[in-house]
Amino acid sequence: MPGLASKRRTPASPPGMADPHQLFDDTSSAQHRGYGAQRAPGGLGYPSSSASPQASFMADPVSSMAVAYGSTLAAQGKELVDKNIDRFIPVTKLKYYFAVDTVYVGKKLGLLVFPYLHQDWEVQYQQDTPVAPRFDVNAPDLYIPAMAFITYILVAGLALGTQDRFSPDLLGLQASSALAWLTLEVLAILLSLYLVTVNTDLTTIDLVAFLGYKYVGMIGGVLMGLLFGKTGYYLVLGWCCVSIFVFMIRTLRLKILAEAAAEGVPVRGARNQLRMYLTMAVAAAQPLLMYWLTFHLVR
Amino acid sequence: MAFTLYSLLQAALLCVNAIGLLHEERFLKNIGWGTDQGIGGFGEEPGVKSQLMNLIRSVRTVMRVLYGLVMKKSNIYIL
Repeated sequence: MPGLASKRRTPASPPGMADPHQLFDDTSSAQHRGYGAQRAPGGLGYPSSSASPQASFMADPVSSMAVAYGSTLAAQGKELVDKNIDRFIPVTKLKYYFAVDTVYVGKKLGLLVFPYLHQDWEVQYQQDTPVAPRFDVNAPDLYIPAMAFITYILVAGLALGTQDRFSPDLLGLQASSALAWLTLEVLAILLSLYLVTVNTDLTTIDLVAFLGYKYVGMIGGVLMGLLFGKTGYYLVLGWCCVSIFVFMIRTLRLKILAEAAAEGVPVRGARNQLRMYLTMAVAAAQPLLMYWLTFHLVR
Repeated sequence: MAFTLYSLLQAALLCVNAIGLLHEERFLKNIGWGTDQGIGGFGEEPGVKSQLMNLIRSVRTVMRVLYGLVMKKSNIYIL
């Protein structure tokens, strides 16, 4: 029936989730109690040795007023910054991508290296918003790409150091280069998505997350290259390239292709063919970039 | 391996400039890429070519505004 909802929604909430929209555990109450005790004038909670100078300082009405005024100013400034920063950097949206835990990271890393046995690639939804990464292993996150990028730069520095080619500005150059390639990839994919008029819910941050997953394979390859020479590098890099290729195809197929094709039924039509080509091109670019960004590090 | 963010910015600027150079009347119409020729079907499928033509036209429009500002600022009146 064509009128039904196109996204598969899971009506029941996943087990172990108290509040559907809460991304992180609430630790504010304990913190508030600690802060409230410290802020009370008279030095409550301070060690007794420093109690008397604190008490005499706070007892002066002018300075206590100054303290109160200073704290109000600080609170106002913080409010202003919080209100305005959401305009430039979507902080709440970014928080979603960092709501991960160790189990998720472990499972996701395993999925990146061995995606062949995983059956269900669809992200679970709950009340129209995708579930946080900590509850669904298919959801994209920014923690792994960010960490992998930084680790890649460190490993690159290590590799250059073992070959006596290291200098601090080379490190900055590596970082800049990898970041430039990432930006170029994101722009190219956004442009092609616009040209092929794909109605997808793939946001830019989602795209950055998916494109950042290749750094994991790159790190593995370079480390193996350091330990076992060129053969180790080629073996591990080849394995990671194929895994990332399969991973990207299976993930992007659900986001870019039409729903019918995602269910497994091959749909004919020029539009779907273009979309399939786009998915394959994006997935094929990953191994190429993985090789290009690491081959000069392993000699 | 000197592919830095700055060179990416330079490349992007040059590409945008190149798109802005394509003159609508003298050049694009002659190769069939003018935007008034492409409005065929109002169906759901704009197609790659018409999307591309729209993109070129919008880039030219935005660039005309920016160019005009820059030229006015430096007291040169062209266009």
